[in-house]
Amino acid sequence: MSILSIENLHANVGETEILRGINLKIEPGEVHAVMGPNGSGKSTLSYVLAGRDGYSVTGGSVEFKDKDLLELEADERANEGVFLAFQYPVEVPGVTGMTFLREAYNSRLRYEGRDEADAMEFLKLVRSKAKDLNMSDDMLKRPVNVGFSGGEKKRNEILQMAVLEPKLAILDETDSGLDIDALKLVADGVNALRTSERSMLIITHYQRLLDYIEPDHVHVLAHGQIQRSGGKELALELEANGYAEFFDGKV
Amino acid sequence: MNSSVESIVPFNQFIDSAQGDHPHGNSGDWLSEIKEKGRIEFYKLGWPSPKFESWRYTNLNKLAKTQFFLPQDMELAKLPYQDILPVDAPKIALVNGKFNRELSDLSTISEGILVNNFQGMSDEQRALFSLENPTTLPKEGLPVKALNDALLSDVLFIEIRPGWQSDVPLHIVSIGCGDHVGFSSKIFVSAGENSHLDIVESHAGEYESTYFSSCVSNIDIKAGARLGHYKLQNDTNTSTHLALTQTSIEADAAYDNFVMSVGGILSRSEVRSFIAASGVECCVNGAYLGTLNQHMDNTTFIEHAAEGSKSREVFKGVLADHAKGVFQGKIFVHPEAQKTDGYQMNRALLLSDKAEIDSKPELEIYADDVRCSHGATVGELEEEHLFYLKARGINAESARRLLVEAYIGEVIDEIQSQSIKEALSRVASDLLKKKLFERCNER
Repeated sequence: MSILSIENLHANVGETEILRGINLKIEPGEVHAVMGPNGSGKSTLSYVLAGRDGYSVTGGSVEFKDKDLLELEADERANEGVFLAFQYPVEVPGVTGMTFLREAYNSRLRYEGRDEADAMEFLKLVRSKAKDLNMSDDMLKRPVNVGFSGGEKKRNEILQMAVLEPKLAILDETDSGLDIDALKLVADGVNALRTSERSMLIITHYQRLLDYIEPDHVHVLAHGQIQRSGGKELALELEANGYAEFFDGKV
Repeated sequence: MNSSVESIVPFNQFIDSAQGDHPHGNSGDWLSEIKEKGRIEFYKLGWPSPKFESWRYTNLNKLAKTQFFLPQDMELAKLPYQDILPVDAPKIALVNGKFNRELSDLSTISEGILVNNFQGMSDEQRALFSLENPTTLPKEGLPVKALNDALLSDVLFIEIRPGWQSDVPLHIVSIGCGDHVGFSSKIFVSAGENSHLDIVESHAGEYESTYFSSCVSNIDIKAGARLGHYKLQNDTNTSTHLALTQTSIEADAAYDNFVMSVGGILSRSEVRSFIAASGVECCVNGAYLGTLNQHMDNTTFIEHAAEGSKSREVFKGVLADHAKGVFQGKIFVHPEAQKTDGYQMNRALLLSDKAEIDSKPELEIYADDVRCSHGATVGELEEEHLFYLKARGINAESARRLLVEAYIGEVIDEIQSQSIKEALSRVASDLLKKKLFERCNER
């Protein structure tokens, strides 16, 4: 059974059609990279999968673990095990990192009909995961992402992912705005979460991130469709030749 | 205007009836005099008119047309604890404006703090009480004061001895109970030199009571003293609350004021601070949470009359349904008040397109070397924030609750007393849940 099965997915932002028939299957434990130039529909794909308002699906289907993903609210999708690591993690004034994580974690437990986590146990869990990502206690006490550097924000995303243990992680341009040290730290965090069950969809413009998080499959997205699929060597080819061949004068 | 015409106004009939009320027996003469003077003054001034600049957004017409009655001696068996701030402190209970010994607990009050109600006040204290507060009220503030005098039920006199510094706050609990009862109380605080105390006020009502409550505080803070003054206005949703706080602050003293407005169909909290000397730190902050048809008015006036003092003012409100908020804040800087540092901000979060906020931040500055800023914002919950929380599994309602709580939490953080801050945060969180998010399950 596939974790994710996207068939002929069409989606609009406002009146404009952005996704024009996407087909993609991801099996448990696989890491897929979707690469494409700016404006190709990469971020739209991630938002459509996560269930953001304002992105309307006009055709096709998305199945997640045999469920119709498109029928679910954003929070239900998250509780089913879809995790979107944001390209631009949002600053949430006044809500501390710890409160945010606890609410998210308990939401999932409630969704599954289980008791909420013991506060002390949960604190220990978060602290140990934060330590792996070189995040201080102070960062957990501060409001989510407020005043964080680009690298800190991305590490915070990975921390949330580590705590929530999703079945499918969508990493939207996780490398953007990171210097090489921050990139390594984030990539290590992601690699530590790779299991034979957990699947990942890495959305990126550049091949650079894929040096650190090695994908099983690479897809090229342009004009709202997957133009080509291949192994990790496809990423290297794109790095050398660019996306020009996918444009053919079309916009 | 002649008084027979005035008496046609239902509320004025109530004012007239209050004159015959002598709750304190023979010692009531002094009180009766204040009431009679207040009544004459009030009829002379009339109800605050919307023509007055500071009454443009809050109209008392409906109140004037409502008939209230003098409270009978009510049987209030116990305080509605769930609506009162949970603070560990000696307690002064006012029931329908009058000091209630049975519900008060002053056994643990420290010796440096003197508390008397009207009956226990000495002649000296009465004389002090009668002195005009240096904060000269403008014309539009006078009717509220006169009304408070005319209906005066009781007086609290709190004196903090010079040099007396207490970590334990003092809690004034004012409870309304009955059907269309009206009452009025006055609190006089004299904080001696270099003293320190936190005074907490909780205003609440017995379940299903409707009342009119008027509360005037006169506060005198002597040099080097610190006074925290925190208030939870959690009156019943059908009641009216009119409050006026006048504070005068002397050299190197500090005043930390916070008003949290939650209850009442109509409430107005007017806080006027007079900074008489240099080195003063004056904070006037507040939060308001309005739902249904509630109307909440926060009017503040901070007057810098001396060089080198600091004032800070932050208000944040959340308004849902048809609720209406009013914020009027003015910083007035006299020509001699050079090096004044003033900050003022009102932010409102509107959760419905029928909710409304009228915000009027003002600076009036006659000195040339000052640092003053002010501003106001109105907004809604941001889709970006909501989506981020939902993308982590938090459902829409919990996400809204978290964000609103965080919004109000930021202004509660301004409170300088740690224990009061924590108590108010807890209450705010419960009230938000109750008022905004659990309404459907209530009935």
